[in-house]
Amino acid sequence: MAEQAYTVASDSENTGEEKSSSTLPEIAIGIDIGTSQCSVAVWNGSQVELLKNTRNQKMMRSYVTYKDDIPSGGVSNQLSNEHEMLSGAAIFNMKRLVGRVDTDPVVHACKSLPFLVQTLDIGVRPFIAALVNNAWRSTTPEEVMAIFLVELRAMAELQLKRPIRHVVLTIPVSFGRFQLTRIERACAMAGLHVLRLMPEPTAVALLYAQQQQQTTHDNMGSGSEKIALIFNMGAGYTDVAVTATAGGVSQIRALAGSAIGGEDLLQNMMHYLLPNADTLFSSHSINEIKAMGLLRVATQDAIHKLSTQTSVPINLDLGNGSKINKVLHRQEFEEVNRKVFEKCETLVTQCLHDAKVEIEDVNDVIVVGGCSYIPKVKDLVTSACKRKELYKGMNPLEAAVCGAALEGAVASGISDPFGNLDLLTIQIATLAIGIRADGGNFIPIIPRNTTMPARKEMTFTTAHDNQTEALIVVYEGEGQKVEENHLLGYFKIVGIPPAPKGAPEISVCMDVDASNVLRVFAGVVQLGSYQPAMPFMEVRMPTVDDGHGWCAEALNRAYGSTLDLVSVQKKI
Amino acid sequence: MRCNGLAISGGSDSRFFFPTNSSTIYTASARNPSSTVLFPGRPVFSTRIRATPRASAAAAVVGDRVAELSFYELLGIPESGSLGEIKQAYKQLARKYHPDVSPPGRVEEYTRTFIRVQEAYETLSDPRLRAIYDRDMAKGLHLAFSARRRYQSDEGMEEKSEWKSHWQSQLSELKRRSVNKDSRGNMSWGARMRRRMEDL
Repeated sequence: MAEQAYTVASDSENTGEEKSSSTLPEIAIGIDIGTSQCSVAVWNGSQVELLKNTRNQKMMRSYVTYKDDIPSGGVSNQLSNEHEMLSGAAIFNMKRLVGRVDTDPVVHACKSLPFLVQTLDIGVRPFIAALVNNAWRSTTPEEVMAIFLVELRAMAELQLKRPIRHVVLTIPVSFGRFQLTRIERACAMAGLHVLRLMPEPTAVALLYAQQQQQTTHDNMGSGSEKIALIFNMGAGYTDVAVTATAGGVSQIRALAGSAIGGEDLLQNMMHYLLPNADTLFSSHSINEIKAMGLLRVATQDAIHKLSTQTSVPINLDLGNGSKINKVLHRQEFEEVNRKVFEKCETLVTQCLHDAKVEIEDVNDVIVVGGCSYIPKVKDLVTSACKRKELYKGMNPLEAAVCGAALEGAVASGISDPFGNLDLLTIQIATLAIGIRADGGNFIPIIPRNTTMPARKEMTFTTAHDNQTEALIVVYEGEGQKVEENHLLGYFKIVGIPPAPKGAPEISVCMDVDASNVLRVFAGVVQLGSYQPAMPFMEVRMPTVDDGHGWCAEALNRAYGSTLDLVSVQKKI
Repeated sequence: MRCNGLAISGGSDSRFFFPTNSSTIYTASARNPSSTVLFPGRPVFSTRIRATPRASAAAAVVGDRVAELSFYELLGIPESGSLGEIKQAYKQLARKYHPDVSPPGRVEEYTRTFIRVQEAYETLSDPRLRAIYDRDMAKGLHLAFSARRRYQSDEGMEEKSEWKSHWQSQLSELKRRSVNKDSRGNMSWGARMRRRMEDL
């Protein structure tokens, strides 16, 4: 099919470019932008290859530093020492900040980082700034991410000797649609077109599917279905997936995820070692930043050592009068972070439950991500899955990016003579999508873990007699009340024929295609005729671009419950 | 297999569709005669009019035709098929019809087929839903069956409450319909259907 001469992208900044799954001339690269580290991989014609930067690194630190007014990221920049990254001039952990508002607890947890994260707690994006020439210079997570992506792109172009435009990115399971639009925005700023955003454990699942298919080929086996549980814990997020694999098809059965990770372990330990850390570092003075950096490096180092040793001495002079001299034991580390580990266990159990899979039926348990080296993490997954051995065929740090590269090749329409790319991922929705109805309730139309593509429809009716207009307010999340969920957008349908409440039939249909684009259709169903009197509405979501809570509050102020909807109980 | 001599429109997601070729007369499902909407304009819902002859299994069928097949026919397995066969057939059809592997320009068509295959798999791989589906199929109602719409929110529903809610929802539906009927000038269901036929 000839490519169109030009296309007009959607007007909305959020939606970015149209994602298409049509054949493309070039192989999309896979990028894993981690909270702490990132990597790039590509299908080289026979296998997946990780790209290296000029310093021969496959794993690059995810940060951008604003030294000498010129931003440079962890791909090209060489830190003279770890403290340079903690001087306030470098911005990192962007993945924990992107697409979040300043009332989000995850954003608040970022306030103890050396660069400036200022919150006003009113539901807008936080103020983020780097220390440049003794002044806080503001930036945004998208911008920082874009600078970083430009460096990655340049690195890949240099090595592959061709322009790079299409990418497959891995994302945390817990990311909402609004956050995905921010990632797409960052990519667009870097001149990259997102072919697919892939939840991290589903990328690992695809790699597993490929490995299983190769094993089956080698053994001439029956190719029966294999079930794997994938646990991926990085610096910023923990994700779990259950996948059922056969013949190169990875059917994602359930996903669970949360914004907890190594960063939480680190901050908990910092608070444990220095209980008044928050008050000591609250004003971000130069000396405070320095002390904070010292503590961070020492704690990080100690946690790393506790993966192989049972105890580690800490001798630290923070320079402001406080000194820390103690021996830290592994049990202490595990006790201080008990809640984080408990949450991890909950995610595993929840995912198994949602997948409707018995623990005995799981063939392989795969633990990946930076935190997979922590003994407690391995222990909790093995005990939650009631087994002795973990799957060994994967590099824990490279699995996700390799899966993304495979998806990039498959989605680019590349085929492999040996069948190594005869792969398919059947994805599922990570969060429920629904509308506000029955008072302030969230009524899911596409439930969580629904296979994509999906199209679901539900009928609603009016809440008042002779109500002629109704608001369709679309949310995403798991809470029963709309306030607990993320607003995606809203629109009004008009022309409802005057009738007693409960009589009109208002149909709301949601359509998610294979590349996760959401469209919402709504309109009044006219009885006994084909042509609706009023045209239906079709809205591509999300449409809100900031201040999630504000729009809903404003709608509530302006209309109260006058344009409400009630769900029609129809089970048959 | 047919009901009242009319083809019943496909299951769960069928209210948003286009008229295909005129040989198919769409009525709403027998249980809910008022609910069919046809509206033009969206490529997502567009369906190519194909001259594909009806085949016995989904292997040669895409687009709307799949709505006429039973879930067993769609997956190409016997009605006695085991769970293993269902899973295998599902994965094979997914490889064939998932929009990711569709030829360019036929994505919508493949998407529709895949959604239907997915529905068949979800129904037949759940012993309880499969039992209900088999029961309905024996009565010739399977084409109107929708696993998801029935059990939208209550997975662990027990048999007893299931019956109760069936009755309740039927009652409330009847009540609502009678209100609607009034608003349509007391036109009977038959009259509406006749008009519909004329309009075609």
